Amino acid sequence: MGINLLEALNVRVVGSGEKILVLAHGFGTDQSAWQRILPFFLPHYRIILYDLVCAGSVNPDYFDFRRYTSLDAYVDDLLNILDALRVDRCYYVGHSVSAMIGILASIRRPDLFIKLILLGASPRFLNDKNYHGGFEQGEIEKVFSAMEANYEAWVNGFAPLSVGADVPAAVQEFSRTLFNMRPDITLFVSRTVFNSDLRGVLGLVRIPCCIIQSAQDVSVPVSVAAYLKNHLGGRNTVEILHTEGHLPHLSAPNLLARVLQRALSR
Amino acid sequence: MFRHPICLSPTLSVSHQFPNLYLHGYALPWVTSNLYKRHEIQPVSLSSIPTTSVVKSSYKFSCQNLTRKSRERSNWAHGEENCGMDKDSIDTHIHDLPDVLLSNIFSLVSDTRSRNAMSLVCLRWHLLERLTRTSLTLRGNIRDLLFVPTCFRSVTDLDLSLLSPWGHPLLDFSPDPILLAHLLHNAFPSVVSLTIYIRSPATLYLLAPRWPNLFHVKLVRWHQRSPTPLGSDFHPLFENCLSLSSLDLSHFYCWTEDLQPALETHPATAASLSRLDILTYTSSAGFRSSELLAITAACPNLHQLLAACVFDHRYVDFVGDSTLLALASNCPQLSLLHLADISVLSNARTNLEDDGFTAEDAGISHAMLLDLFIGLPKLEELALDINQNVRDAGPALELLHSKCPRLKSLTLGRFHGICRAVDSKLDGVSLCRGLESLSIRNCADLTDYSLTAISLGCTRLAKFEIQGCKRITEIGIRTMAHALQQTLVDVKISCCKHLNAVRSLRALEPIQDKIQRLHIDCEWRNRSQQSERSSSHTPSKLMNCPTGKRFANWEEEVSCSKKSKYYSQMDSANISYGSLFPCKSWAQLQHLSLWIAVGELLTPLILAGLDNCPALEEIQIRVEGDCRQQPKPSELAFGLSCLSSYPRLSKMHLDCGGVIGYALTAPSGHMDLSLWERFYLNKIGNLNLLELNYWPPQDTDVNHRSLSLPAAGLLAECSTLRKLFIHGTANEHLMMFLLKIPNLRDVQLREDYYPAPENDTSTEMRVDSCCRFEDALNSRQIPD
Repeated sequence: MGINLLEALNVRVVGSGEKILVLAHGFGTDQSAWQRILPFFLPHYRIILYDLVCAGSVNPDYFDFRRYTSLDAYVDDLLNILDALRVDRCYYVGHSVSAMIGILASIRRPDLFIKLILLGASPRFLNDKNYHGGFEQGEIEKVFSAMEANYEAWVNGFAPLSVGADVPAAVQEFSRTLFNMRPDITLFVSRTVFNSDLRGVLGLVRIPCCIIQSAQDVSVPVSVAAYLKNHLGGRNTVEILHTEGHLPHLSAPNLLARVLQRALSR
Repeated sequence: MFRHPICLSPTLSVSHQFPNLYLHGYALPWVTSNLYKRHEIQPVSLSSIPTTSVVKSSYKFSCQNLTRKSRERSNWAHGEENCGMDKDSIDTHIHDLPDVLLSNIFSLVSDTRSRNAMSLVCLRWHLLERLTRTSLTLRGNIRDLLFVPTCFRSVTDLDLSLLSPWGHPLLDFSPDPILLAHLLHNAFPSVVSLTIYIRSPATLYLLAPRWPNLFHVKLVRWHQRSPTPLGSDFHPLFENCLSLSSLDLSHFYCWTEDLQPALETHPATAASLSRLDILTYTSSAGFRSSELLAITAACPNLHQLLAACVFDHRYVDFVGDSTLLALASNCPQLSLLHLADISVLSNARTNLEDDGFTAEDAGISHAMLLDLFIGLPKLEELALDINQNVRDAGPALELLHSKCPRLKSLTLGRFHGICRAVDSKLDGVSLCRGLESLSIRNCADLTDYSLTAISLGCTRLAKFEIQGCKRITEIGIRTMAHALQQTLVDVKISCCKHLNAVRSLRALEPIQDKIQRLHIDCEWRNRSQQSERSSSHTPSKLMNCPTGKRFANWEEEVSCSKKSKYYSQMDSANISYGSLFPCKSWAQLQHLSLWIAVGELLTPLILAGLDNCPALEEIQIRVEGDCRQQPKPSELAFGLSCLSSYPRLSKMHLDCGGVIGYALTAPSGHMDLSLWERFYLNKIGNLNLLELNYWPPQDTDVNHRSLSLPAAGLLAECSTLRKLFIHGTANEHLMMFLLKIPNLRDVQLREDYYPAPENDTSTEMRVDSCCRFEDALNSRQIPD
């Protein structure tokens, strides 16, 4: 992608403040998810918005199935954008998968980030011995098969009547956002995400982190927030939002903006 | 002689196939020239077809597509030509007709696809068709605007508001906007009527000077107003188009303060305005008294004025008695006056249980109404759609006919006492003898007797709308339908407590074979069952009620309505569903409009009596309600497939825009919007629709109106669809589903709601993805 990376990923820089704030969206949304949060920060920060390469708003041709096999490629994109914009220090707010990307990026370039704010973050979505990530392997296989059916439907043009309705209730919320992207890309990216496990590297993070978590989030159980707090290497805080859902920036923007403001000022 | 290939089968039935041959509903003219390359039409020369068949078929064809008004004239041409053809049927050819006659015939054809087909017959037809084409809607992509067709020299009526991507600034794509404006002017030199989407004043600064003779301008904008000084949107227009006569801002979002300074800076243009439409559906702000007066003072020659106002007297500067009188003296020429309160425009339905009076009275007195009518003697259409009580309006309305003898259309909202009909006398609105259209909204004391009086007094009524009148029952409507059998063709019944769908349909039985347009609420349950007691009479007794005669005198009328009241009390409790008149069809019904609450099913519609509609072409369904409180519907499908019993149904407006739910974050146990969309669109593929306008349900919290995955899949099953307009957004890969529809030619996402999502932050379809989708759509083989 090289030089036109900024254009390809719809990078926008808005706001009139001194300090730089990166807002990175999560799975199945794009930068417009921050729309209702933006007004709170425009006067005080210079805000960098971009779309992940898997977002529905990016030309699907840019998605290179050979390159984006692990989260590291996404980290490269993020760091390339920040370099291209000549950012030397910034705050980073990452939602869901972007929180993972932020963690990896801050390990690679600790000097670049002042503070990470991890919204609905999880180092690993699957359950394990002594770890509750929220998803059983079996459940996630169901989602994948639903998505494969969806992909078939997309390829063959059949009405995907069953999709979206008949996935397990526990993963419905999560799958809903997944379907906002092109099905083959979704499938590929979600396999990447579910296969990644950041538990081993959390300790390498040295910068302070703030973990923001909805009280009820079917994708990420509250216990994960505690796990992150205990295992991330920096000085960490946890904020629990008294709201439901994996997308608090869409469903409770005012509440989230207040918490974000507090987290950024500390 | 025939250089253009054309596909005509050598039979007399050519005309039936003719309109299907070519492609463009909307003109995509610069593609038209390439059609031959993409088509795999077998070139058949016209000369190989027997001459007579061509003559007949071509004439049949042109006559078929004529508008109703012009049909007589063309029949004349048809007849005369047939006579000539009998004499020397072998030698005469349609091409022997002189150009003058042909172009006369051509100019009567309004259907765009027929016109496109005609222009492909031969070079001469092509030239004649282009010469007579006066109206053009440009579709296609903005970036292709440089290749704008130059063959439409005589177009006077140009619509640039529907270019793709919808709502994108017109000249932004071009590196040289001045050149583009110049090109547009060169391509359409004779434009006098322009419709255009305006994001910022810059577009008009470039375009308005090109067409200084503009006569009618309609501006469109659903996006937020750009932060420019007051009135700057209108300055370029008023400055350059001095002969501007008609300005339509009904779909243009701007502030109410915008218009006045612009008009005052350009007094000459303002004085030439004869029609001003500021009945803004885009904005929730209405014009205040001082603004309205300033505007009307600046435009003394207005003939038609439509405006959204603030009638509520609790606001500062509300529109009241003195405003209306001053308005009448400012513009004494008015033939159309339409003033609506902003709260009415929002389409909110009234509560069925209250008594029909609002808590507040409007600042409009019945005494003033009379002075208003005296001040506007040329009135032909009057609409005062207010949302607060205007009491005792009857006496003033009685004199309306004598003061405004040309009045044809009347709309009254929240006017009470408009027709009391006591002591067998015609009074109030029933004395307006010339009325052809009457709309009564939220009149608390309108009774069945009033309707009887109105139907006896206003004998020319063709259109009747009644909304939110709680005391009207089936009998009143039925009596009215009896009395106006000869004229009434357009009826709307909505929000009336005693008139559910079954009863409304039953009441309209006398005009069942004549009615052309109908609106009813799909309210299947009986709201007033408690008030009516059943007895043992059979419903068939209702059939004995006298039909088909105009009532000789008032007494007979009253006794009859008493009788029918008696009968209808019997039947309404006995049957809730079931068609009483199975043999009779709705022979002329062309347009059906339905309102239905969220969660309700459509399937009872057929049982309710609308079972036989052979001519029904267009249906409009508005679903409304908050599905966040709704339980899961018991059925899988809303019931669209039941509409497949209407053989000619080809156009549908499915408006779920009033459905509010959770888009992305539904709490557990609730259905999110994608499942509701699946419910509503299920089995839509069973209908043979050609044109669909679809409004997806919305999540108001996040201003999200987007096509979901099930919806896209279900829409893709409509294999006959040709035009699809989605009034919301969609993801690119979901749009790509739609490419499975073989006949699909014209698809557009129109975010025509305020505020339309700004391009740079819109979640789904962006400019680039829109272009990619259109490329994919246009690169397909075209089956016809």
